[in-house]
Amino acid sequence: METLNRRAAFRLAGLSALGAALAACAPDAAGGGAPKGDAAAKRFGFTSWSLNEEAQKAAVRATVDAYAAKHGVRIDTASFPYNEYLNQVTLKLRGGQLSGAVQLDISWLAALAAMGKLKDLGAQAAKGGYTDVALSSGRFQDRQLGLPWTTGSIGLVANTEVLKKAGVEGMPATVEEFEDALRKVAKLGGGITPYAAATKAAQLKDILPWMRTFGSPLMEGDTITVGDDASVAAVEWYKKLYDAKLIAPDVDRFDARALFAQGKAAFYDDAVIARGVVAAQSPDKSLTEKMAPLARPVLKAGDQPQALLWGHVIVVVDGEGSDAAADFASYATSDTATVTAFFEKVKLPPTTTAGLADPKVAGDAFTTEWTEKITKTATPNPFWRYAGYAQIETAIAEQVQAVLVGQSPAKDALARAAETAKPLQK
Amino acid sequence: MNRRLTDGQFAWLLMVPGLALFLAIIAYPLVSALVTGFFEQSLVLPGRAFVGLDNFADLLGGDFWPVLRNTLVFTLGATIAPFVIGYALALALDAGLPGWLRGVFLFPWVIPGVVVSFLWLWIFNANYGVLNGLLGTHVSWLGAPATAMIAVIVTKTWASFPWMMVMLLAGLQTMPKELHEAASVDGAGAIRRFRSVTVPHMRAIAGIAFLLEFIWNFQHFDTIYVLTGGGPAGATKTFAVAVYDTAFKGFDLGHATALGGLWMLLLLVLMAFYLRKENA
Repeated sequence: METLNRRAAFRLAGLSALGAALAACAPDAAGGGAPKGDAAAKRFGFTSWSLNEEAQKAAVRATVDAYAAKHGVRIDTASFPYNEYLNQVTLKLRGGQLSGAVQLDISWLAALAAMGKLKDLGAQAAKGGYTDVALSSGRFQDRQLGLPWTTGSIGLVANTEVLKKAGVEGMPATVEEFEDALRKVAKLGGGITPYAAATKAAQLKDILPWMRTFGSPLMEGDTITVGDDASVAAVEWYKKLYDAKLIAPDVDRFDARALFAQGKAAFYDDAVIARGVVAAQSPDKSLTEKMAPLARPVLKAGDQPQALLWGHVIVVVDGEGSDAAADFASYATSDTATVTAFFEKVKLPPTTTAGLADPKVAGDAFTTEWTEKITKTATPNPFWRYAGYAQIETAIAEQVQAVLVGQSPAKDALARAAETAKPLQK
Repeated sequence: MNRRLTDGQFAWLLMVPGLALFLAIIAYPLVSALVTGFFEQSLVLPGRAFVGLDNFADLLGGDFWPVLRNTLVFTLGATIAPFVIGYALALALDAGLPGWLRGVFLFPWVIPGVVVSFLWLWIFNANYGVLNGLLGTHVSWLGAPATAMIAVIVTKTWASFPWMMVMLLAGLQTMPKELHEAASVDGAGAIRRFRSVTVPHMRAIAGIAFLLEFIWNFQHFDTIYVLTGGGPAGATKTFAVAVYDTAFKGFDLGHATALGGLWMLLLLVLMAFYLRKENA
């Protein structure tokens, strides 16, 4: 048998390394050679957290597949869980590993727009027939960087059956009535959480509309007002509910949905998507008929109910295949047949005038009621304008959590939150 | 001219690919990260500004100390508990417990850390968790500062005691049986034999295993992140979680890398202990 001498072995190793390096540099099978910004590109990506959520993934997949079949393209999908989505997408965009269309929560637009890598979708927006409010959710510094996929609000949902059992008549309209209703529900026992409010940091931003309810503007001009008397009163009230076990510890949106779906919660906060999500999780097939949206109770009669605007947009990363991806974004958000079919499956209201006027949408009682009671008075979160908005909300959420677990009085905690948030306003 | 390579030159040539990889994926990012600690730099906003030692001063004036305390509590708890359990099981197995039990005890170790964490997340869940169901309580194990760290340590202990057990069992099985026999003949009981024979024989391997586990726990991330995300109210925020949160949730690369630099300094001290022990 012939043996390799040292020189031959070294040459062989060198050749192997060279081969490996060349292989690593070669275009991959994912269409690395696709033309830049080419409307005729046959392959592009679509990143969406909805593809990771049981209640929506089939509907989103149907939209993707329908477009791919119609245009003869291949769409490479990727997904991350909602609570991890922003940082995963941010990292990938920064590292140049994100391309094509990307679903975003409207609150994340500023953070991604600040990176300067999103395509202007003004042309698609102009011909899409979107409502003005919806279009505004995809606009950043006078550029249309996102096409609105759904626009709605985050509000309170009630289980009318549980309320009836507890002897609660009518929907509570004031904070006092709401608290009374929670106490009545608590008396039912059986492991029911009266209000499955967020108490984990990830969704403690739900405290913000309560702060507004108690009279805090959150921001005045460029000054964060968290820490004012009204916001302190709101957090102290939340803590009172927590101590009285009217809200439960260790709850985020997903826990709240699970509790509500099992009939173990009377109220919780969610978007209009609540009905579809809860229906998919609940063993009670008639639960959706017992669900009712309600205007957030006000501090005193006559006040305006508070709700946060909410919605999804689709943005497109500039570069490879971006024109084709923009066409897909336009199709997914404005093609009337597509958006109404999507609405039928997941109950997310469309954002175009034609879509909203479609009888399938306009005739949906739950959505109409939601719009009338919650979205009508919803306003944007004032922190969204900052790229560091997520940090600002986290700073507030961590301090509210410190109050809930008894580590800090509300006044001190919110003063600290405001102090932490101040340098993040950029 | 047909020059021949010396053995030394050949050895260096063989090391070139490894060195190149080391420089590209370890040394460069490390130096780059350490340098970033002296700048105000965001993950999403363009540009950066030199701020000298400001990031370090900010940290040492605030977040560093609670994070250090949490890291030490977690590291000590998650090292001592599996060490004690692993040692006890290793002794039992060495003393004649059926061999198939070794496989059973190894089971938690072969499950990926994130899966273990999710299992325990459901066990500890305040509203529909198994533990509250069994105890008939409604305790927020992960939602209260007093119990969250204990829950995290319990989870990590469950995942890592098998490794400790295997390491210590290997050490016990190298111990000459004659030593125990001789001690028995001299009238030593079980506890005396453990103190005077087993412990001295096991000192080196137990020390290395303990120190390695301590170093790993000092850097541990997945269990804490999945179970509590560093909460509630920062009660379980260790260096790993704090650096991740600062960089990838807060987008603040300057403070994150400064904190990482301080964390690395502490790890270097531990590494020095380890190398000294290994060379002893």
